[in-house]
Amino acid sequence: MRGLLQLFATYGNFLLFLALEGIALFMAVQFNHRQRAIWGNSLGLAAASTEATVDRIGDYVGLREEVIRLQGANIALMEQLDNARYRNAIKRDTAFSEASEPLYTFIGANVVSNEVTSLSNTFRLDKGRLHGVEPGMGVIATEGIAGVVLAVSDHFSLVMSILHRESRIKAEIASSGYFGTLTWNGKSPRYLTLEAIPKHAALLEGDTVVTSGYSNLFPEGIMVGKVAEIALPAGENFYQVKVELVNDLSRLRYVYIVENQMREEHEQLDEVANE
Amino acid sequence: MSNPIVVNIIRFVVLLLLQGLFLKRISDGWDGWFYVHVILYPLFILLLPLRTPRVAVLLLSFALGLGVDLFYGTLGIHTAATTFMGYARAYILNILEPREGYNVNYSPTAKRMGMAWFVRYAAVMMGLHLLAYYSVDAFSPVFILDILLKAAFSFLLSMALLIMATYIFNPQD
Repeated sequence: MRGLLQLFATYGNFLLFLALEGIALFMAVQFNHRQRAIWGNSLGLAAASTEATVDRIGDYVGLREEVIRLQGANIALMEQLDNARYRNAIKRDTAFSEASEPLYTFIGANVVSNEVTSLSNTFRLDKGRLHGVEPGMGVIATEGIAGVVLAVSDHFSLVMSILHRESRIKAEIASSGYFGTLTWNGKSPRYLTLEAIPKHAALLEGDTVVTSGYSNLFPEGIMVGKVAEIALPAGENFYQVKVELVNDLSRLRYVYIVENQMREEHEQLDEVANE
Repeated sequence: MSNPIVVNIIRFVVLLLLQGLFLKRISDGWDGWFYVHVILYPLFILLLPLRTPRVAVLLLSFALGLGVDLFYGTLGIHTAATTFMGYARAYILNILEPREGYNVNYSPTAKRMGMAWFVRYAAVMMGLHLLAYYSVDAFSPVFILDILLKAAFSFLLSMALLIMATYIFNPQD
């Protein structure tokens, strides 16, 4: 009460002014046609614009849910694709086209941190061990490949980007089938180098480079990029092919982690091969 | 006529009636073509004694504005403008304070303070009042040009009348 009185002593004039002015303006709006119309109109406009803003915010909030839904839909479609299934048929042209089982399945994930400027780029995903992610799984984005999972925690995973000095990914020229290894020279995040394409291969600038499916990390035929430059160093038997990525890794948001259902079998065979 | 309260009550009534019964007709005349108001009633607020408490100034402004609004049939508009002017009075007086200060027993009249000072004081106060009045009248910043134009013309006529009245009556308090 004392504080209130003090407030009145200090700001009494101003408060009285505000009160009287408020009464006057209220009367002006209440009893004059013109003022009333303008006030009502302005109020309507303000309400409409507030509503529109709220709507936009709602849309934006709903967007995350929509992305997750669409990721799920994409995964369902991707898993039905030919390159994601294992064919039991001995001959490709037998009529038992349904005689196939899932080979690759996908886990949708969001990128939570990313880098493209160092020599050993990695990025992090918001899915981990609890969601079935394991080290060694491939990661693809909407347009093309993105990296390989290095390590996982319960809820997150660390991915070695294809823009990493030690990244080695098998890829092939789509038109001819010659395959090589994709590496990164640590310079531009837009280009990779495709090594070990033999000298006799027919190669043109603009040829499409896709994953070969040999590495069991990615299904075959996932887009990587286009041949931008072909170099044949003197005395070498292999081309140095510069590949322009379709995938802009500097704005990676939503990715899919590739899970190979028959990975254990490959590992068993690898052990035999390495003995 | 020495009691300032009586003087001010008479001034209040006279200015209110003058504004409401006579000056209103001028702005209504010529088939509404002549839309500029001639405003004199704020003279009452101008001439209130310097020692009048600010609360009283505010309440009197409100009452005067309300009275004029009743004559004009524009409830709230003159009230808003006059209340604003009443609130601004203390600040304006503060800014215009002469080097030797005020004698708080006086009113800020031309006779006490000098014609030049009084015209300056009246001009600032009338300017504020008219701008506030036409702003509330238009009620939207869209009509800013209209507001300024009307306020300017109204200002010229009102100031002319105000100065004339000051010369004729030249009150001491």
